[in-house]
Amino acid sequence: MYGWIWRHLPGNAWVRALISLVLVLAIVYVLFQYVFPWAEPLLPFNDVTVDRGMGAVR
Amino acid sequence: MTARSRGAARSRAARPGAEGRAGRGRRPVTVARLVVRTFSEVCVTVGTLIVLFVVYVLFWTGVRADSAMDGEIGALQDRWSTGPLATASPDGAAGQPGGTGKRPRYENGKSFAVMYIPRFGADWSKPVLEGTGTDVLKKGLGHYDRTARLGGTGNFAVAGHRRTYGDPFKDFPELRPGDAVVLTDGTTWYTYRIDRRPYTTVPTDIGVIDPVPRKSGYNGPGRYLTLTTCEPEWGHSHRLIVWAHLDSTQPVERGRPSALTG
Repeated sequence: MYGWIWRHLPGNAWVRALISLVLVLAIVYVLFQYVFPWAEPLLPFNDVTVDRGMGAVR
Repeated sequence: MTARSRGAARSRAARPGAEGRAGRGRRPVTVARLVVRTFSEVCVTVGTLIVLFVVYVLFWTGVRADSAMDGEIGALQDRWSTGPLATASPDGAAGQPGGTGKRPRYENGKSFAVMYIPRFGADWSKPVLEGTGTDVLKKGLGHYDRTARLGGTGNFAVAGHRRTYGDPFKDFPELRPGDAVVLTDGTTWYTYRIDRRPYTTVPTDIGVIDPVPRKSGYNGPGRYLTLTTCEPEWGHSHRLIVWAHLDSTQPVERGRPSALTG
């Protein structure tokens, strides 16, 4: 997988390393900005209220 | 991996037609290697994702929440300093708690008060926002929208994160009878006093935020405060509850209440 990506990047090793770094940073940004905020409420840390019963009424 | 990949690429380039013939002969080995390598890479990737997610939950939500809470408190103080009487009704300014009726409703998702709990530290202060939605609780404590107003007759109920998003209620189990919970809405300081140790219940036990909270030991109408958070610390099977009653109020012109200064 990573070998395949590396082979398909253009340029010499330094250019590829630079592009790889940019790709990694972009992926981390997308994860922190969009993916993790979506996934985090699925975990139990958000359940701090007692209105689950009221939530059903609402 | 670099040298190996480049070597592989070079050898393939050197023998353009050989791959098919040689590949067919070695297919089981090649396929097995490919499968093992891909599986390893997937495992490493998943592991990295999990580590990143833990960093996000433990660290990054706190960073974001702290700046959001500071922003909310700053905005509140700006609003109060520019027009301290804008949100107050005459009876509120006179220091009479619970002057209901004419006062504007709390706006959902907006902060309207700041809470101080000396037990959690002298510099512990968090904004209180209207509503208990997930987005609201990322920016501070959340006021249950069907419960009483701050200082009003009934039960002013507030929920907060115990863990993640700045850990506002991290030390919740350390609350003891007599501890002060101080709030201000820009015109009045409200000092509540906790009456008993934290009470553990189940999430569906909504009686704990009733106007006269069930099982609290209060047996008549009054000006109460309820705080709720999750129990156990990282779980969601139970809730931890603390009840307090309104002990004293004083207008902001008379300075901070003794519970904060003393």
